[in-house]
Amino acid sequence: MAEIKDNTQVWLDGEAKSITFIVTKDCQLACKYCYLVGKNSKERMSFEVAKAAVDYILGNPELFPDQSVVWDFIGGEPFMEINLIDRLCDYIKTEMYRLNHRWFNSYRFSFSTNGINYDSERVQRFIEKNHTHLSIGITIDGTRRKHDLNRIYKGSGLGSYDDVVRNIPLWLKQFPNGGTKVTISSPDIPYIKESVLHLFSLGIHEVNINVVFEDVWKEGDDELFEDQLMQLADAIIDGELYKENVCSFFREDLGKPLDISLENNNWCGAGKMLSIDAEGNFYPCTRFAAYSLRSKKPIIIGNIHDGINQNLLRPFLTLDRLTQSPTKCLSCEVASGCAWCQGENYDAAVTPTIYQRSTAICLMHKARVRANNYYWNKLYCKIELDGARPAKPSCIACSL
Amino acid sequence: MFEYLVILLDEASASFCHYEAPSLQERKPISADMLKQGIRFAMRQNLAIQFVYPHYEISDELDELVHSVDHFKIMPADIDATKADVVVVDGFNFDAAIRLQKPTTLRVKKDEFFARYHELVPLLEAVPNVNVVFTDVQHFTAADLQTYSTVISLLAEEVAKMYVGDLCPRINLLTDRLSLNEMNNCGAGATSLTMAPNGNLYACPGFYYDDPENCVGNINQRELEIPNGYLYTLASAPICRHCDAWHCKRCVWLNRKTTLEVNTPSHEQCVMAHLERNASGKMLMQIREHGSFMPECEIEEIDYLDPFDKRHLW
Repeated sequence: MAEIKDNTQVWLDGEAKSITFIVTKDCQLACKYCYLVGKNSKERMSFEVAKAAVDYILGNPELFPDQSVVWDFIGGEPFMEINLIDRLCDYIKTEMYRLNHRWFNSYRFSFSTNGINYDSERVQRFIEKNHTHLSIGITIDGTRRKHDLNRIYKGSGLGSYDDVVRNIPLWLKQFPNGGTKVTISSPDIPYIKESVLHLFSLGIHEVNINVVFEDVWKEGDDELFEDQLMQLADAIIDGELYKENVCSFFREDLGKPLDISLENNNWCGAGKMLSIDAEGNFYPCTRFAAYSLRSKKPIIIGNIHDGINQNLLRPFLTLDRLTQSPTKCLSCEVASGCAWCQGENYDAAVTPTIYQRSTAICLMHKARVRANNYYWNKLYCKIELDGARPAKPSCIACSL
Repeated sequence: MFEYLVILLDEASASFCHYEAPSLQERKPISADMLKQGIRFAMRQNLAIQFVYPHYEISDELDELVHSVDHFKIMPADIDATKADVVVVDGFNFDAAIRLQKPTTLRVKKDEFFARYHELVPLLEAVPNVNVVFTDVQHFTAADLQTYSTVISLLAEEVAKMYVGDLCPRINLLTDRLSLNEMNNCGAGATSLTMAPNGNLYACPGFYYDDPENCVGNINQRELEIPNGYLYTLASAPICRHCDAWHCKRCVWLNRKTTLEVNTPSHEQCVMAHLERNASGKMLMQIREHGSFMPECEIEEIDYLDPFDKRHLW
């Protein structure tokens, strides 16, 4: 399979503790699909709060037994608080060293940014200082018209494409394996193919893309979605773009039945992560903070003064697929790869529980599975016909 | 499937479990009309009724309605409880319960229990069944759990002596586990619902007393379904369905209070149930030193007190 590019592995994916600082709830943009319903310019994290969180976390290593850590910074737009982040990262490094903490040799600072002030002097100085321990993803949704459909400036409503795309070459120079995250909502569906191909053409070889988990889908969206993905599949395969590029919509392990006795894990990592807001409150994931929730109370699992209430983590750490899924999901023939967001499940549930799985993406997942089947069948046929891969004995379509 | 309807006869009916009922400032009994509707609802839905009495004698009108249907009475010991099916006692003042010789629920705080547990013996001798309920489980500290471990073992020795002396005391903390071979927990929200004087339905009285907005339905509904009802069942409780502390109350009200989920018990609730389970096992061995006793019962030694700690094996 040397000819098909694999996804770049996320650094110690699933093995490192993810600790997220919500450094600001402000952002230059007002993206139409943003799940953050409570963004504002007032709630900015102070160094004292951030320091207290670090002191608690590093001072209680028994509560955080993971071998590695990802210190994650989000907003709003995290780079709006680059001065705080720079000072905080210096403090984290100093403290990990001073305490001879195991994480000193195994840590990352991680950012998801809108990319607008990526080239600013302060951000660039920070990148230079921490480059070997950095993961930075810039969010760009695709072509100008697709990007500017949703990712617009607060106030003016103007699109942000030009201000982001000018920073892509610098970012890719500094992080050649950088991937981008694309979010698809109902109005974006007609632009999926052109957007992914555009991102490939910009030199972004890894496009991580997903449909929003919220219940925004209209009748017929699944058919449009499937059609777009099949057009994309044709373009990727006919153009042999699969050799250099990956689009996360297409995965070989997608759309298989799941044996509940063997594959009962929770999809989402909420509870294994820790998020901290400007007040010093702890959350099982950022999605449980008040600014992320439409209709439910936040789930605060502790704070920098009292620490984590372990009882409040128990429901998260014992969540499994069986308990939260409706019957139709358990017997679904194409269940594998069907994702969920615990925060959205909670927000959409009819009672205040994290144990009711939302199925708003059901039809979209099934459409994706059909297109994904098409993609792999076509790709394997092509590779076999090109002689790069031995034929499958049962490959009737190739008459081999 | 729902089998029971608990009906609160006053807005401040006596608590018979972990939750606190509001103190009685003024009498706010259920209206006769609402009680009549509640009884009809229970009859239509084929539910057995359990009336929970307040700390005063109810009116003749309500009493007449109560006796218009088959039922079960839960009554506090500070009223005339001669007709009670279960007598509820708050704290170690159970002279009335001893006199009444009825199944007794003892609501108690940890400190009083630790100091006076040995005084349970006369109660155990007098009444057919003692159901001990701690009203401050959510406040047990690690040190309290250590103390409870010691105290429940000492109480188990007392109970073992009673068995050896040809008595047959029954106390939920120690003897329930001996006669069970599967989970037998509180059925709140799964097999039983509570009707408050406002006509709304709750998983149990604790939810009503926390906030009357916590209702899961009302007596006007025809279909007896509650939102996310599956979460009250054992099958939907990841920790509990792997547990063999079968006598545990698995209190969904405490679960909600301590973990925010009705299907997830707190560490304290799990450890207490396992200390009781283990003490039951030791008590069984102590009794068997004097002859054959419940030969079908086995309580294996285990190396944990909280099934949550073994979740990697599930």
